Amino acid sequence: MHPAAWWAWALGIVVLAGRTGSATVLTLLALTALAVLLLARRRGGPAPGAYLTLALAVVVVRLVFHVLVGVPGGGTVIVDLPTLEVSWAPGLSLLGPITTGGLLSAVIGGLRLAVMVLAIGAAATAAPPTRLLPLLPPALHHLATAVVIAVAVAPSLSAAAGATRRARRLRGLPTRGVRAVAGTALPVLADALDRSLALAASMDTRGYARLLAPRDRRVTPLLLGSLVALGLGTYGLLTGDLRYGLPGLAVAVLLGAVAAGLAGRGPRRTQYRPARWRPPDLLLACVGALLALGATAGVPGGALAAAAVLGAVVGSVREPGARYREALA
Amino acid sequence: MTTAVRTSPSRTEVLRAPRVHAVPLRTSTWVALAVASLVGLAAFGWPLVVAPEAGLAHAADAPVVLGAVLAGLLLVVHLALADGGMDVKAVALLGLLSAVGAVLRQLSAGAAGIELVFAALVLGGRVLGPGFGFALGTTTLATSALLTGGVGPWLPFQMLAASWVGLGAGLLPSRVGGRREVTMLAAYGAVASLAFGVAMNLSFWPYTLGAGTDLSFVAGAPVLENLRRLLLFSAATSLGWDLGRAVTTAVGLALVGAPVLAVLRRTATRAAFLPAPERAGDTSR
Amino acid sequence: MIRLEAVSVTYPGQASPTLRDVDVSVAEGELCLVVGPTGAGKSTLLRAVSGLVPHFTGGTVHGRVVVDGRDTRDHRPRDLADVVGVVQQDPARGFVTETVEEELAYAMEQLGLPSDAMRARMEEVLDLLGLVTLRHRALRDLSGGEQQRVAIGAVLTAHPRVLVLDEPTSALDPAAADDVLAALTRLVHDHGMTVLLAEHRLERVVQYADRVLAVGPDGSVAEGAAGELVVRVAGGPPLVELAALAGWDPVPLSVRDARRRVAPLRARLAASEPPLPHVPRAATLLSAHDVHVRYPGTHAVRGVGLELAAGQVTAVMGRNGAGKSSLLWAVAGAAPRAAGTVLVAGRREAPAPADPAVLDPREARRRVALVPQDPGDLLYLGSVAAELAASDAQADAAPGTTAALFAGFAGAVPAAAHPRDLSEGQRLGLALAVQLAAGPPVLVLDEPTRGLDYAAKRVLARLLAEHARAGGSVLLSSHDVEFVAQCADRVVVLADGSVVSDAPAREVLVASPTFAPQVAKVLHPLPLLTVDEVRDALAVTG
Repeated sequence: MHPAAWWAWALGIVVLAGRTGSATVLTLLALTALAVLLLARRRGGPAPGAYLTLALAVVVVRLVFHVLVGVPGGGTVIVDLPTLEVSWAPGLSLLGPITTGGLLSAVIGGLRLAVMVLAIGAAATAAPPTRLLPLLPPALHHLATAVVIAVAVAPSLSAAAGATRRARRLRGLPTRGVRAVAGTALPVLADALDRSLALAASMDTRGYARLLAPRDRRVTPLLLGSLVALGLGTYGLLTGDLRYGLPGLAVAVLLGAVAAGLAGRGPRRTQYRPARWRPPDLLLACVGALLALGATAGVPGGALAAAAVLGAVVGSVREPGARYREALA
Repeated sequence: MTTAVRTSPSRTEVLRAPRVHAVPLRTSTWVALAVASLVGLAAFGWPLVVAPEAGLAHAADAPVVLGAVLAGLLLVVHLALADGGMDVKAVALLGLLSAVGAVLRQLSAGAAGIELVFAALVLGGRVLGPGFGFALGTTTLATSALLTGGVGPWLPFQMLAASWVGLGAGLLPSRVGGRREVTMLAAYGAVASLAFGVAMNLSFWPYTLGAGTDLSFVAGAPVLENLRRLLLFSAATSLGWDLGRAVTTAVGLALVGAPVLAVLRRTATRAAFLPAPERAGDTSR
Repeated sequence: MIRLEAVSVTYPGQASPTLRDVDVSVAEGELCLVVGPTGAGKSTLLRAVSGLVPHFTGGTVHGRVVVDGRDTRDHRPRDLADVVGVVQQDPARGFVTETVEEELAYAMEQLGLPSDAMRARMEEVLDLLGLVTLRHRALRDLSGGEQQRVAIGAVLTAHPRVLVLDEPTSALDPAAADDVLAALTRLVHDHGMTVLLAEHRLERVVQYADRVLAVGPDGSVAEGAAGELVVRVAGGPPLVELAALAGWDPVPLSVRDARRRVAPLRARLAASEPPLPHVPRAATLLSAHDVHVRYPGTHAVRGVGLELAAGQVTAVMGRNGAGKSSLLWAVAGAAPRAAGTVLVAGRREAPAPADPAVLDPREARRRVALVPQDPGDLLYLGSVAAELAASDAQADAAPGTTAALFAGFAGAVPAAAHPRDLSEGQRLGLALAVQLAAGPPVLVLDEPTRGLDYAAKRVLARLLAEHARAGGSVLLSSHDVEFVAQCADRVVVLADGSVVSDAPAREVLVASPTFAPQVAKVLHPLPLLTVDEVRDALAVTG
């Protein structure tokens, strides 16, 4: 599975969720994302707990604030709570009547964010973002390598912290409290720093950055141009000035891509198992694009949600066969 | 048990460590950082500046749009940073320090208000320079998100904010030393971590709360009115947490600042970033 | 293949060169052993060959280093990656990625090899080093020997002509070390690889070496055949010492060579009385009954009982993962045990025997002290002086107690030195001094000989014997059969978490094929374990 495919699908869902106002569509999307997330988890993906908690939390926060601060909304009054004026904060009143309209708008607002969180969580579980790192432009190889290293050594640092804490007990030192945390963190840090030099030597002797392209004078102006275009694009987004918004962003992407291309030219590092686009991956990515474009163009949410479900099915069902093929390869 | 001693930097060397730039910044990189920071500020403070007629003011996918903008911004800035060249030792150090930060973040996520990751960012930026501090902010938050499953539209915001924290630590006056240095870093750490919390609230408050309540964001309202609402919202939600984090950061820095600075400087001295190999009797160049 | 011409290396901030006027060359297909005392510059010599000196470490290099026609002056380490493969001392510290296959592919990716070539080389290296079954495993779940082989594989995929290894077997148990050495000799014999290898544990490797480079304390390097030079290294392997005692020349380098010559010596020794087992029947200081240790998914220690008597040094031996560490930590009360009892004798101020796991840590360490596998874990301050002072305060000992103990082990060490800059032996000495400052009668050491040279091991053995003679008891785990033969009175062999044998050291060591020291192997069936014992026996028979 190409790691970017699920992310394209998830971004499509995010855009759709942002545009649609239908509780049905949102519920359908939430259930789809949840199913993908749980299926991917069963296949050995990372624990998705954080996403589930967050998705639940955003809905709850919305509801709590709705009751606490009150959202003006139509519909029938369900519970008529007294309104409390807060003396030290003029204009703020607490509680107040709870209406069906207000409650519905709070739920939809919360659900919308929950769908976004779940969709991204589904992508992160089905295609762990560490696998996206090799897709970064070669010019960002340093940064990607640093993150790869960090992810790889973090577990052993946790283990080292445990060893140091046990060693503190051996010396009869307290293992709780701020001083103990500091006393544990320091040796771990010192060890990590020593380790970084050993690692750097190992990388150096194994040819790290050997095929680094020579500096290209055109890169810097292109990058600056890209940043300025990005600034104009943001200005356009914030002011609603359509002359700047999308064109600015498009130019920024173009200039940035050209700069990245120039900076990463020359003989390339290669990848042992490069990610490849296969037909189902392409289909999944196309569904993502379709969702994003369709939602922006105002295509009915129901049809798009159906497409999202279709994409999820294609992506999830394909997995066992792919595993078999990969095992043969 | 043998009497041989390996090379070790002498104590004086450690104490008056020269200013290290593990990731060198050229003038053009500074310009890029400045432009990027301006754009980043606008993106962070968008609820205060957005015009009511802009599509962004009402669209529920605005965090995704702005997150994407910031992700692009970070990519471009890091292209500029990498264009100045990066020593393999800086890369390895970046990786290991990010892992330390991510582990600290994992350890402290449970205990409310204890986030020592800012202390790590401040000390790293202080010793290894603003360019390194900026990169460290990005990689630490990225690592932490990858490890704990925290990738989302908020991540580019967190990465940029953390990068600013590291960058700022690298820009603090370099002549301050000894106890005053630790005090300065503790104060900076407290302010920076508080600002981080407020900035994250500012960008995401319109979504967390939704529109229409007394604390909600009102597009196009006077800046002060929106600030007042934000402040009330913060007070109701995360302000206590943010203050706790600021205090923890300051206390942590005051407590371990001096020894951590010493080990970091020891490594920086030993690493001798971008060493120019001396060659006695070298006639070939 | 490797040529060093008048090479001197001086690190920044150092007055005298670490290597001085080195003129050596290593021919293609040789296995060349680098020996010398700790800190003499073995690693510097290896780094000069890989280009890390001076490109990575800084410093000044006089002279020329040429590897396969490439001058390190103009080639950075990364430009030599396809010529010199470097394996560092602790392989796990050099891993960049998470799984075996990714790690093996890393160097090839950096060299920009096409995909087909990568696949072919990958299979080739996996087969060569016997890593096929491990290919998808996570690196951190591998054992030390497996990690070492992966580290070798990770440089072999670049197809280097020269392999440079810094102490590849010093942290491994005998079986794992044999695996690694077998892989290396196969590379030399079948593939014409040139290997440059630094090692403390000469008894393991010297028989495979074609040539030896001896780095002196002054930075000079002598080269010669293995038999000639190893004799000169202070305190060589037991075989060399035995040869000196018996007057064998040339020195036999393998047990097999020695056994061909041993008949006359054995005849002389057979007349002597075997040394009596030294079994002190003294007070029991610590008794453990039916100890179980469980981790999620494993039952590491299964019902072990142990009595530690005063005046005794007990060694726990066994494979990796046999439960040695878990047992030691449980006995010291420093790690949770699932079941069983441990009682450690009281002291004058607090006479009642007690469970060290229940005692306040400050009281527990006055009765039983543990030095963990990495002694550096115990040290957390920025200088030796700070560490010594803190130790006195924590142990309620008179100021200077720890410093005096430390000086006894390590000699003069600059007080301002960072504990991480000490040699392995010095660091162990510091950790020991810290733990002994509280005056515990029972001393527990987890794998104390890792990375120690012969001199340091002798000091440690003497020290443990002194502790036992003074009425204490020592419990240690070790893979190092020579060290155990030197210092242990009693050996407990663990397998799969249970005790397989528990008997006087001589009985266990002489009989076992895996745990027999070299002297016992050569003199089989005589029950002699060390050269010192042979010397004593000869003195008796005349």
